[in-house]
Amino acid sequence: MFPVSGFNFGRYLQKSCMKILVVEDEKGLAESIVDYLSREGFICEVANTFWQADEKISLYQYDCTIVDLTLPDGDGFSIIETLKKIVATTGIIIISARNTLEDKIKGLEIGSDDYMTKPFHLSELNARVKSLIRRRYFGGSNDMIWREIRVQLKARKVFVSEKETLLSRTEYDLLLYFLSNIDVALTKESIAEHLWGDHMDSSDSLDMVYSHIKNLRRKILEKDGKDYIQSIYGIGYKFTAS
Amino acid sequence: MKLLQKTSRIYLLASLAIYFVVGIAFYRMIRSMIYDEVESRLKVEKRDFETYIRIHNTWESNSYFVENKIEVKPANGSFSKKAVFTDTLIHNRYEESLDPFRQLTFYTVINGKPYRVAIRKSMIQSYKLIEAVSAAIIAFLGLLMICMFFFHRRLSGKLWQPFYDSLARIKDFDWTKDEKLKLADSNITEFNELGDVMEKMAFKMQHDYKSLREFTENASHEIQTPLALINARVEQFIQSGDLGKDHTYWIEEIYHASRRMSRLNQGLLLLAKIENQQFTESEEIDLSKFVEKKLGDFEDILSHKQITVQIQSSGSFYKMMSPALADIMIANLLNNAIKHNHVNGLLQIETAPEFLQISNSGNVLKTNPERLFERFKKESSGAESLGLGLAIVKQICDNYDLHISYENIDSMHIIRVRTA
Repeated sequence: MFPVSGFNFGRYLQKSCMKILVVEDEKGLAESIVDYLSREGFICEVANTFWQADEKISLYQYDCTIVDLTLPDGDGFSIIETLKKIVATTGIIIISARNTLEDKIKGLEIGSDDYMTKPFHLSELNARVKSLIRRRYFGGSNDMIWREIRVQLKARKVFVSEKETLLSRTEYDLLLYFLSNIDVALTKESIAEHLWGDHMDSSDSLDMVYSHIKNLRRKILEKDGKDYIQSIYGIGYKFTAS
Repeated sequence: MKLLQKTSRIYLLASLAIYFVVGIAFYRMIRSMIYDEVESRLKVEKRDFETYIRIHNTWESNSYFVENKIEVKPANGSFSKKAVFTDTLIHNRYEESLDPFRQLTFYTVINGKPYRVAIRKSMIQSYKLIEAVSAAIIAFLGLLMICMFFFHRRLSGKLWQPFYDSLARIKDFDWTKDEKLKLADSNITEFNELGDVMEKMAFKMQHDYKSLREFTENASHEIQTPLALINARVEQFIQSGDLGKDHTYWIEEIYHASRRMSRLNQGLLLLAKIENQQFTESEEIDLSKFVEKKLGDFEDILSHKQITVQIQSSGSFYKMMSPALADIMIANLLNNAIKHNHVNGLLQIETAPEFLQISNSGNVLKTNPERLFERFKKESSGAESLGLGLAIVKQICDNYDLHISYENIDSMHIIRVRTA
């Protein structure tokens, strides 16, 4: 089970050595993903080609695999198929520039868990990896605890200093996004996209982010929590204890 | 009009005209031949008569017989040297009818006195002959025409069969699919040539379509990947902390520009895909319900901007279309109506079996509203807006034969999608 005492999610993962394979042919992008996820406490490996990926998945076990669909020497779908044959429990996230419904459906059909269209926010990828691992290895029934904040994932309830805090759906999603990205500067855009998807391309959505953050902050403070939401001028927000 | 109908009709009209002309010509020919015959006989009789007069210098009128009647009357004053042929009718004293006669009238001098002489010949037999011949010709030609007509129809039907076959196959042909166009072989060279040309064209079309599609997809893919890299690097850069005010500003600009570019790219790709009719799946969608459902996604922003939503429905608007495109269309319309709305504004949705109308309050337009359906046409030069949303909606409507209109009445903006 998930440790009950207030610990960073990332640190917990580090303990259990969650291993992630990143299959991406664009070296720079692979590097960015690895950097970002390593900071969150994951152990990452990279495969730049189809054959590298094929070799790695037959030699090692990974808890989560991030797969780009278009590789110079092969198709990402067949990697997923092979993976599913070897270790059926491996979590799979597809990252692809292809934005078609057919690809998304096909991806889900052959057993991937998530589909992200390029370009994506690393913070979003991070949140999705964590959510996937939570679902896959803890059945989503555990609590997510950070300092005095405890989130009952299954019941979608939030407790601050063990006092229940009623959050709206959006505020709840926002808090979860923050908790998945502790100590990370999140851009307003990535928050807006996480909450409402990319169809909301208006400047209104940035105002909304602001007002939801204001509400969330107020609700946490009301229950004797500390103000962890730090705003970064011109960029966005950071959820941090320091 | 079908080709067969058209040719049959032309054939029928042409043969009727020819038939008519031939009939008249025939009739005239026979008539003139008979007249020639009668007239030459009348002339012979005239000579006989003149010879008789010259010898006897007298004429005993014997007016009893109808046929070959020679009528001699004193000419009272009028005298002409000319001999004139005329048609006349003489009363038949037995059958109470008027019989046609050909008459040669001339003037002559008998015993020093001028006389008008009329020699007649009955035409009754000749007319009967003309009638019989004409009737025979009409019957014969009519029969011929009917036979030819049906024969022609049968023959044309058979001859054009491969053409109709090919036409049906061409109609079924879908260039977005991989299936090749194969036309039936025929023993008619022209059709075979046409078939070959069509097959070649179809192949070229499929090929072009495929390469265009691949190109747009590849281009988009190739652009998205470096954009993803820029985004990722910027995000990493942001994490590095200690950024100066200038740096933050620059980074923010880079970040915005790359996001904007990616959205533009996606929008244009989507437009190309809709134009290429790449969304082939379709199902019957209740757009009225769809809008109401979709409105749920905008809950947050609606309450944030305190927009009042009014829904009025007098029936469901059903349309066979791609669910993905329906989703994009409705999302874009709602997004548009909310984005350009005031705080405390109004959003009205009206649906009926033949239309869907989304109206919102907003600033009065300065440009022609219909122009906003064009690509990159924006009312305000807000950096956030791409100017593709309504162009995409328009393209979707065009694909599905929906008519879209944009009206701006005072502060209300009304977009209506209706069946064409």
